[in-house]
Amino acid sequence: MNLAESFAAGMQDMAGNRGRAIITTVGIVLGVASVVTVLSLMHGGQAQTLAYFEELGGLRELRITNSRSDRVFMTAAERASERLTYRDAQAILEECPSVLTVDPEIVRFLQVSYGDETFQMKVLGTTRHYPYADDMPVAVGRFLTDQDCENYANVVLMGPTYREDLFGSEDPIGRIITIEGIPFTVVGLMEKKEFYFRGGGGPGDRNVLEWFNLSHYIPITTMIKRFTVSDELGGLEIAARTVEDVAKLEEEVRTVLRRRHGVEDFEIDSKQEGVQEQAEQQRFFNIVFWAVAFVSLFVGGVVIANIMLSSVTERVREIGVRKALGASGRDVFVHFLVEALAVTSIGGAVGLLVGLGMTAAVDRFLGMPTALAPSIPLIAFMTSVAVGLIFGLFPALRAARLDPVEALRYE
Amino acid sequence: MLIQTEAITKTYELGAAQVQALRGVTLAIGGGEYVAVMGPSGSGKSTLMHILGCLDTPTSGRYMLHDQEVSGLAGQGLARVRNKEIGFVFQNFNLLPRIDLVANVSLPLLYRGSVARADRRRKAVEVLDKLGLGNRLEHKPNELSGGERQRAAIARALVNDPSIVLADEPTGNLDSKTGREIMDILDRLSAEGKTVVIVTHDASVAAHARRVLHFEDGIVAREDRR
Repeated sequence: MNLAESFAAGMQDMAGNRGRAIITTVGIVLGVASVVTVLSLMHGGQAQTLAYFEELGGLRELRITNSRSDRVFMTAAERASERLTYRDAQAILEECPSVLTVDPEIVRFLQVSYGDETFQMKVLGTTRHYPYADDMPVAVGRFLTDQDCENYANVVLMGPTYREDLFGSEDPIGRIITIEGIPFTVVGLMEKKEFYFRGGGGPGDRNVLEWFNLSHYIPITTMIKRFTVSDELGGLEIAARTVEDVAKLEEEVRTVLRRRHGVEDFEIDSKQEGVQEQAEQQRFFNIVFWAVAFVSLFVGGVVIANIMLSSVTERVREIGVRKALGASGRDVFVHFLVEALAVTSIGGAVGLLVGLGMTAAVDRFLGMPTALAPSIPLIAFMTSVAVGLIFGLFPALRAARLDPVEALRYE
Repeated sequence: MLIQTEAITKTYELGAAQVQALRGVTLAIGGGEYVAVMGPSGSGKSTLMHILGCLDTPTSGRYMLHDQEVSGLAGQGLARVRNKEIGFVFQNFNLLPRIDLVANVSLPLLYRGSVARADRRRKAVEVLDKLGLGNRLEHKPNELSGGERQRAAIARALVNDPSIVLADEPTGNLDSKTGREIMDILDRLSAEGKTVVIVTHDASVAAHARRVLHFEDGIVAREDRR
């Protein structure tokens, strides 16, 4: 008897004993359903982490900041250093071959007025390379240009949050606002930026990117000329030519800045580190998830092995008859293994559906992020086949090894 | 010669005790013979049937089928001989309860392999028809009378056109009228040239055979020919 025929015989038998098949299936349904749910949760977590970092800007960027140190404990060299400056930014652009863009920024809280309204506002001095500009398009008007920086232009882009307070429904483009009494022309309005981590606490979820919406943007040269005493920067964002160049760029920047400062009083962070950190945390949860799924699968498998074993005992006589009619041990082995596989495959299919339902429920009622990977049906199928093979093996071997004379005599 | 045995013995281990079921059986059965093996229970006749049917192997001695030694064969080889050469008819029919008659009768063809599904069905239906069960094809065994079940079992034994039909107390579970019907069928098979070996303790059943082997204590004690 070939494999296909053994399969047919096994399936025929399953159809003849639906009750047992259904009971056996329940175990595997739960196992596969939990695997599907776990996978969806894992993918959901990963997707959310990646989405967060993508919102923050690409992975090609490095952020350079002054290291925080107490003046009292500073060494002479540290005290002598000018810290990060606009000139450092220009030096990096000229001297580091791996650099694509350099975006120095200086942040100040300044008085912004329009008509009678005055607010204390976060103002960012920056360049056209502001790294979030791509992800956070200008809603109306334009972003800063190289000309703005070269000309120390008095132009400003507004964040969306204060727009209504200042202008109501009026079109702000072309209007004049004053910053610390100096008139600036509004050239653009930033789009509103939103990102909520889910599961943080329901309706109270905070927009973790709200600070973007509160900021105003002016050319960094104007900022230095008008509002600061030095060109010391709050921070510096630089982008490598490619993601692969990020590590090289980090070294180049370190060399340039150490030479200029005489001391390492700065820190360089890549977003990849953040992604990795998140991935580490995610991994812990994944292990817990997998453990739960594995236990359910194991229980399902043991149920199958048990029922298959009792089915072998129940059918000793039948096995004897089949052998008398010419079934070899191999035929009987395949027959029982196929039955186990049929049960687990059907269980796997039902489990997949139940798992998808559970995933939807978890997403909806527990507010945990989930995502369906395209590999999930394949994994569910392979898992159920594997369980069928592993736990069907022993009962099938037992059936195959039965002595036909003994089996025929069995009452 | 179809069947030839030489000094076959069979010893079972029952815990510490050894039971000698067969103690040197030498016999020859030619093609087309109609043979009954008689004897009280424990005489070794069932053991002989198991060995002749290749369900079991002798402890010592030789068993030749079609002048080929089969006593040396193991699992897979014995299964093939059972499938091709032997048609079993059991006292309690041994039909599989969950599948219909066609499926039951097709089983030997299934295990033979290389018989297409449609051919299997066609052959099974043909044999069932011949045994008067053409109107019971889709019935499950428990929907049939005892006589019908045994006829279905005979159909299953014949479907692979075996060299030997081995019947173990074929009428043991039937009333006397139905038993006679079954014996008529076996007589007819013999008349058509099939080799039939019946194991029984019932003299009226054994009376149908041309040759009766009387078993006692694991040996052929006496032989009658008609």
